[in-house]
Amino acid sequence: MTKNRKIVCRCEDLTEEEIIHAIEEGYTDIESLKRYTGATTGSCQGKGCLMHVLRILSQKTGKKPEEIGITTQRPPVNPVPLYLLVEGEGE
Amino acid sequence: MNVVVIGGGVVGLSVAYNLARAGAEVTVFERKYPLYGASGRNSGGITPLLSNESLIKLAARSIELYDHIQSEVDFNFLFRKDGYIKVAQNDEDLSVLEREMRLQKAAGVDVREIDPFEIRSIVPAFNPESVIGGVIGEGGVIFPWPVIWGLVKGCKNLGVEIRVEAEVNGILIGDGEVEGVKVNDEVVRADYIVNAAGAWSNQFSNLAGIKSENRVIKEEICVIESLKPFIDPYLLNVSNGVYLSQSARGEVVGGVLGRETGVDNALGVKNLNTKSSLEFLFRYAKGAVEMIPRLRGLSVLRQWAGVYDTGQDGFPVVGESQIRGFIQANGMGRLGMTIGPAVGEIVAQVIFKGSGMEEFSPIRFSSDGFKN
Repeated sequence: MTKNRKIVCRCEDLTEEEIIHAIEEGYTDIESLKRYTGATTGSCQGKGCLMHVLRILSQKTGKKPEEIGITTQRPPVNPVPLYLLVEGEGE
Repeated sequence: MNVVVIGGGVVGLSVAYNLARAGAEVTVFERKYPLYGASGRNSGGITPLLSNESLIKLAARSIELYDHIQSEVDFNFLFRKDGYIKVAQNDEDLSVLEREMRLQKAAGVDVREIDPFEIRSIVPAFNPESVIGGVIGEGGVIFPWPVIWGLVKGCKNLGVEIRVEAEVNGILIGDGEVEGVKVNDEVVRADYIVNAAGAWSNQFSNLAGIKSENRVIKEEICVIESLKPFIDPYLLNVSNGVYLSQSARGEVVGGVLGRETGVDNALGVKNLNTKSSLEFLFRYAKGAVEMIPRLRGLSVLRQWAGVYDTGQDGFPVVGESQIRGFIQANGMGRLGMTIGPAVGEIVAQVIFKGSGMEEFSPIRFSSDGFKN
């Protein structure tokens, strides 16, 4: 069973089948797909999964990746611990 | 009856859901995609611990409606009702909380005072030295994303047409009455138009010839890495504006109460500023760590900003405007998720019965958009 699971997003534990299911449900743009499945919102913030999601969406919809685009990239680039931010004020 | 709803957020979709259930033909026009606006950017805090009797009632009704709607549409909103705590750091703010509490109690809300050390018995990580007191009562955290998807699903099941990436760029009026909207070159006839465009609602009022001056407020939020649940209630510090809660997914989501923002001339009226700032992270980190010291070692994964609107007097704008058939359902402030479902019911009453909530009627503003 588990051998057949193609994990697309490790943070949110999403499989390729789940992404495909969501696309078939009608979440066919990348921003909606993100907000329906949770893909790209976990601890990696999409570094591990965004390109997989884009590939699957492209394959399912027939749209080119550049037509689909990517989700809005939000700061910070890498996780920043709060203690640094508490100390960082004024720098 | 044909109704056009402008805006696919919690208010617009709740309006559409109620109208369609009562038999209206409804089309929702969303300029971007559902969840683009404040309904997709808020922290999901829901509570009737509010400062005005009508708002308290709308919030209490909305909490009931969330339970009904999530079973009607078969969608789990991940609504965790583990309470809502408001804390204060000075006497002045605490006395405001106490005054509001009496109003809430009178409206039948379960709420009481709580001292800082008792908060620690509910949230063991809480620093009792950080505040002087507070109140605890009904409320909790909802996950806004499934709320919107559930409402979209419910609307579609009722035959509502939801058009995304579809911007209304004209309001057709004849004889002081609405006739329809223009979307690109297409004309869509309507008996009623509901302006539920949130922070963007002024521009649609203006298209109808109404000078609306809702205030636009920008607020920022961030999310800290996901953890096993350790913060049950939603926490809001009314003195420094810092709030946080833990979502059903374990993430600690928090922010700082927003500030009024003007229109950025470089961006234009349509493109409100939703840029994130480092200054916000500093303010939030300070307030959050003060309240829950063990957050110190945890990392911010993502931050974002959103915009919402309030009427000039800080209250919602709900009801028929001076133009017949042009219904305002905007100005919810931070309370879109909190009162949206009940506002949907009220707007349906305005349209079907001609009765609404006088208190929040747009008629309270004179034609120049300011309060009489």
